[in-house]
This record gives sequence, structure tokens and C-alpha cells, in this order.
Amino acid sequence: MTKKVRNFSYMLLIVMVLLSACAGGQATTVAPVEESTEAPVEESTEAPAVQEPVTIEWWTVSSEEYTEQVQRDLAAAFESTHPNIKVNVTVLPEGGFSEKMTTALGAGEGVPDVAFFWDNNWFPEALDLRPFIERDNFDTSMYIPGFWKTRALWNDTVVGLPLGVGAQFVMYNKDVFDEMGVTYPSEDWTTEEYLTKVAQLNDPDQKRWGSDRPRRPFRALWFNYGPDVRLYSDDSMIVDGYLNSPGSIAAYIWAWDLVDTGATPTPADIEVLGTEGTGPIDLFMAGRLAMATLNQGHMLNALNAGVNFGIVPEPGVAGNERFVNAWSLTSSIWKGTEHPDEAWTFLSWWVGPEGQRYLMENGNLFPSINSVLNEYEDADEEYAQAFFKVLELTQVSEWRNAHPCNSTVLRAVGDVWDKIMFGEIERDQIQAELDAIVPAAQESLDECRERLGG
Amino acid sequence: MLIDWRSMSFRERREALQGYLSISPWVIGFLFFTLVPVLVSVYFSFTQWTITSPSEWVGLHNYIRMFTQDPLFWQALKVTGNFVLISVPLKLIFGVALSLLLNLKVRGMNLYRTIFYIPAVISGVAVSLMWIWLLQPDTGVVNTLLALVGIKGPGWFWDPQWALPSVALMSVWSVGGSAIVYLAGLQNIPPHLYEAAKIDGAGAWQRFWRITIPLLTPTLFFQLVVEMIESFKVFTQAFVITKGGPLKATYFYLYYFYEEAFQNFNMGYASALAVVLMVIIMTATIILNYTSKHWVYYAAEEEATK
Repeated sequence: MTKKVRNFSYMLLIVMVLLSACAGGQATTVAPVEESTEAPVEESTEAPAVQEPVTIEWWTVSSEEYTEQVQRDLAAAFESTHPNIKVNVTVLPEGGFSEKMTTALGAGEGVPDVAFFWDNNWFPEALDLRPFIERDNFDTSMYIPGFWKTRALWNDTVVGLPLGVGAQFVMYNKDVFDEMGVTYPSEDWTTEEYLTKVAQLNDPDQKRWGSDRPRRPFRALWFNYGPDVRLYSDDSMIVDGYLNSPGSIAAYIWAWDLVDTGATPTPADIEVLGTEGTGPIDLFMAGRLAMATLNQGHMLNALNAGVNFGIVPEPGVAGNERFVNAWSLTSSIWKGTEHPDEAWTFLSWWVGPEGQRYLMENGNLFPSINSVLNEYEDADEEYAQAFFKVLELTQVSEWRNAHPCNSTVLRAVGDVWDKIMFGEIERDQIQAELDAIVPAAQESLDECRERLGG
Repeated sequence: MLIDWRSMSFRERREALQGYLSISPWVIGFLFFTLVPVLVSVYFSFTQWTITSPSEWVGLHNYIRMFTQDPLFWQALKVTGNFVLISVPLKLIFGVALSLLLNLKVRGMNLYRTIFYIPAVISGVAVSLMWIWLLQPDTGVVNTLLALVGIKGPGWFWDPQWALPSVALMSVWSVGGSAIVYLAGLQNIPPHLYEAAKIDGAGAWQRFWRITIPLLTPTLFFQLVVEMIESFKVFTQAFVITKGGPLKATYFYLYYFYEEAFQNFNMGYASALAVVLMVIIMTATIILNYTSKHWVYYAAEEEATK
């Protein structure tokens, strides 16, 4: 028996040695390749002969705003004016981009030189762009201020440049409003007006609802209820008095009243009849929703389908500041890049006026640069003007970017929202329910803050 | 099993080597794609790691938090436990029932077997999307048919009371896969046992309980373990259909794990969750294995002891 154990141990040892040797062999074969691609470039910069172009890796995704072909053409256009830089484009499916980036960043190798850094957790891995901005006198004031603030700045550094803009707003069907004799909403309309119009526009005989429902609390409409309507305090320390503030309770009660009208589709209706994840554009275009909270992509769909619509911001509360759920794609350079100068040259061109203009003219991008946005072919049309005005509102994401524990805390307190959406709570129980979840929310916040280093 | 090479002939050594070479792809695959990730997960379960920053050793902190401060862990465990208790018996009963039907001698049986097996190979996401349509409360096929006979159907996935049973019911959809395994077990039962029982006057029901079920217990045991493990790992339905709701009625363990690992990037804690699930499944399997001595009948073993 002892002999058998000894033999087995020897065998196991040999196998492990062999396997580790194989693994080691792989690593050593990879390393020289990386070095060999880099070395000639460095040498060639010193040599007076023809300079070898530097290849940078660019990971992107294909979307309705910019297809794969448009982006490959964009890279070719860049290369034609920058012969010393070659851009190797990798277009990934949107669904798999995050996983691939997270894995690469975690491993610290195989990360592209330039890519979207759309996840806040990736920001520590982005190259600080301030030295390049300063060196080249790159004009950052060309970007719409809200998007620069929310998508480029992080912890006193510049982690990227904002590509394109998007926002949510209420689209209303003018034909339905006219048919029902309801006046169009104005850009300063209130949540109370919203409830009134929803009830007026609802028409079960026509299988038409007055509007959709918000998908979750503590976004623009909630923020419109006042500065204390947040999940927690601005310093990420306290939940009590924010999550359950009078303004927050009022916002939840408004949601309860909206559900109570019976004039909105249930979550089940939306799941089956609405477009997955992005808002009920199908229901809106089919005339089954008189109003819906949608985005600029939906706006273009409705425009192409010939729907007679108007655009207003989400309703607010008289006297309070108004917010918008808006976004832009943070486009960054990996801090481990071996070609920072070339990566910056490409990034500042791609997300600068030339690149964004190209994507607007050849795709469906709405640029984050005001001067280029105003070149939009329908810039003078009513719908475009209304959309541009929405972009000027204060962004919810300003708050979200600075508070990465938002989703963690929201998950801990999601039951009250579900209860309202499924009609499992009375109106006068809302305050007690919110008070009751404060301890759990505080615990979640404390855990998250501690995990992220305070 | 260990072998003594020195006592073996050249031919025996060659055969043994061929054997080891044959299983080496599996062994290497197991080492690299199962054992190493498991060991790495165990290590990371003692760390705080957000992927993009270096991991920090925190000892038992993740486990202490999980058991003493995390209501979501207990909620996910409760929901998953309930799901196992509902879905495993359902799948066993329907699997055996289907295999009995597929064992009948009727024309075109191979076609029926193929048809019932097809759901087992369809992607879980596609199946989930299909069930969303089938069980939609107002316009879905199921409630529309129920309405025709005067029954108001429930809200299914969108009703906190019905969401978990709905997912369990949906899991029965792919029972054709396990029915094929039962069918193999059924066809291993010697026909002469049924003939002898018939001659002794046993009815169909008695033959089923006294012959079919006892001789099928090894297959039932195997399927019980496999279905139990599968049920603990339920994820796709929550991810595609319910997002863990409504009111966390379908907040399954792996869905919680997914949120922690890939949405919050809380990899250390997620690894601890994975380790605990592994321990739970291993414990349940050991318990089932222990109880099997009392109810699983191995005819071959009995023959050997005679």
C-alpha cells in the first residue's frame, strides 16, 4: 500500500511538473511575440529610414447609432490622414463587451489601447488624459457641459471623452391627444398634470393606455421631487431622511396613484408587448400608448414610421429643479497601453468634432459637441429642438457616477417598488414601508462603501 | 486505483498506458476547467476582490457577513430550496410517466421519442421567451384557453404567489431528456419478470409497484441526484423572465451570485457564495447517497452476494 501511494505520488508530481512546464512554455512563447512587435517600433523612431506604422487596438460595439461598417470606414478615414497609425478594429456584440473588457482588465493583458469604458468599475484602469489635454490645448469646453461632467471626470482625473448623447423624455402622440380633446403637455408640466392626462387619454375600447409606468424609482422623475429625494446622502453615509424623506414619499405616492388609475400597462403587458429593455416603443408606435418615456433612438424610429409626436421632459414639481436621465459613452485609453500618444491621437479624433460628425452623417449618432450637434440635418425641426432642450437639464447620472453603491442599495429596497407595481400595498402604508426598509438600506450602503474602500 | 507497474507484463503495461492516455483528455480538462477554478474560487472566497483592483485577504469576513448580516443570502437560499422541493418531485414524476408512455409498443414510437426529447436540447433563453408568451396573464395562450372554460388564470410569472410555481412548472418542459434515461432503465428490466407476475395474477398496478419501480430505483436515484443539482443551479429563468421578482419570489441563489459577481464586481463575496452552494450540494448528495442504501435496489449486487 505504501509503495502504491509512493508510486502515485511520483506520478502526480511528474504530471504536475509536466503541466506547469507546459503552462510556463506558453507564457514564454507569448512574451517574446509581444516584445518583438514593440521593439522594432521603438527602434524605427530613432532610425531615419521609413517609419513603421504603430498599430493600436480599438474595441467597440455595433449599434443602431453606428454600425460595424460605419466604424470600420471611420477607422479607414482616420488612417488615411494619419499614415503612421494603424487602427485594428474589433467590433464586439454589445452583450459580450462588458464581460470581455472586465476579464481583460482583471487579467491585465489583452486589453485594447482604446475602448468604451462604460462601467464605472473600470475607471481606475483608464489613463488620465489631463497631460494630453494640456499638451495639445485640447478644447474640452466644446462638449455639452453635463456630459463632460458626468462621463469624462472622475476623482479629479479625466478618464475619457464622451461619445454621443442620449436621454429619456416623454413622447406623446399628437393624434391621440387631438382625438381625445386633451391639450398637449408643456415643457414645465407637473406630475399632477401627468396623472390627469393619463386618465383622460385612457381608452379601453380602443385598447389604448394613457401612458407607460416608470421602470424604477430614484431617477429623473424622483429627483424632480426635491433635493432630499435620493437613496442616500450625497456623501454616501446616511439613508434615513433621504430614502424616506417627505419628497421621496410623495414620489412613491405619485407612482401608486399612477398605477391606481388603471390607465397603464402592467409589467406583464410591457414584458410581452413592449420592446425588451429599452422602453415600450412598439406599443407607442402602434397607438396603444398615448404617452411613453422613450429615448432618442425611439424618436428616430417614430419619425421614420411617420408617427405624429411631440417631446417634453419628464414631468416635474413646481418650483423644483428638473432632471433628465441622460448618458454618453465614456471612451478611454487603457492605462497599460504601450502606445499612449497614438491612442490619444486616435481617441481625440474619433470623439472629437471630426469623428462625431462622421458618425452623425453616416450613422445615427447625436454628437456630444454642441457645434456639431447643431449641424444635425433636422436641427431646426420641432422634435430636434425639444430633444436638444432636454439635454440641457441637470443629469441624474451626475449623482450616480459619484455613488457607485446606488444599484446595491436599490436592490435591497426594491420590494416597496414591486408592491406598488403589483398593487400589493395601500396608499397610506407607503411611508411605513419606506421607514421599515431604512435599516436594510443603511446596512447595504455601509457594506458597499467599506468594500469600495470608503 | 493505483497500479504496480513492476509486477505487470509488457502487454499489461501497454494496455494500462493506453487506458491512461484515453482518459487523459478528461483528466486534463477536469484539472484545468473544474478543479483549478474551484480551488481558485475557494481562495478568492477569503478575499475582497473587485476584479480591476488587487485582491485583499479578509479571512472569514465574507462567510461571517453571509450568515449573520445578509438577508438577501437567506432569501435566495429559501427561494432556491423551495424551488428544489417543488421542481425535483415534479420532474421525477413526469419523467417516469413520460418514459412509461414512450415504452409502449405503438407505431411511430421513435418519432414520439424524438419529439419529446427536442425541448431538452433547445436553448434555455429561447424556452424562457416562449414561456413568457405562453403564460402572459392577459394575452397568453394558457390563460386564453383557461378563459374558454370559464377559469380566470393567475398572473403566473408576474404574481408573487405564482412566480415560483410557474418557473417550477416550466422546468417540467424539458423532462423529455430525463425520460430517455428512465426509458433505458425500463428496457433493462427483464420481460420474464412481468410474464411470471402475470401468471401469478398480478395486475398492472401491482406489476408497476412491485417490479417496475424497484428495478428502476438505480435510475431514479441517479436522476434524483442530477435533477437536484440542476435545480440548485436554476438561473436562466430568473435572468430572462423575472429578474428575481416579483417581490423576490424568484430570487434564486445563482441569480444573487450573478448580481454580486458580474453587476457589483464583488468577486470575493460571490466566490464565497459559490463555495457555500458547492458545500450545500455536496452535503445533499452525500445524504441522498446514504439514504439510497435503504431504497435503491441493485439487482447485480444481489446476484453477486448470492
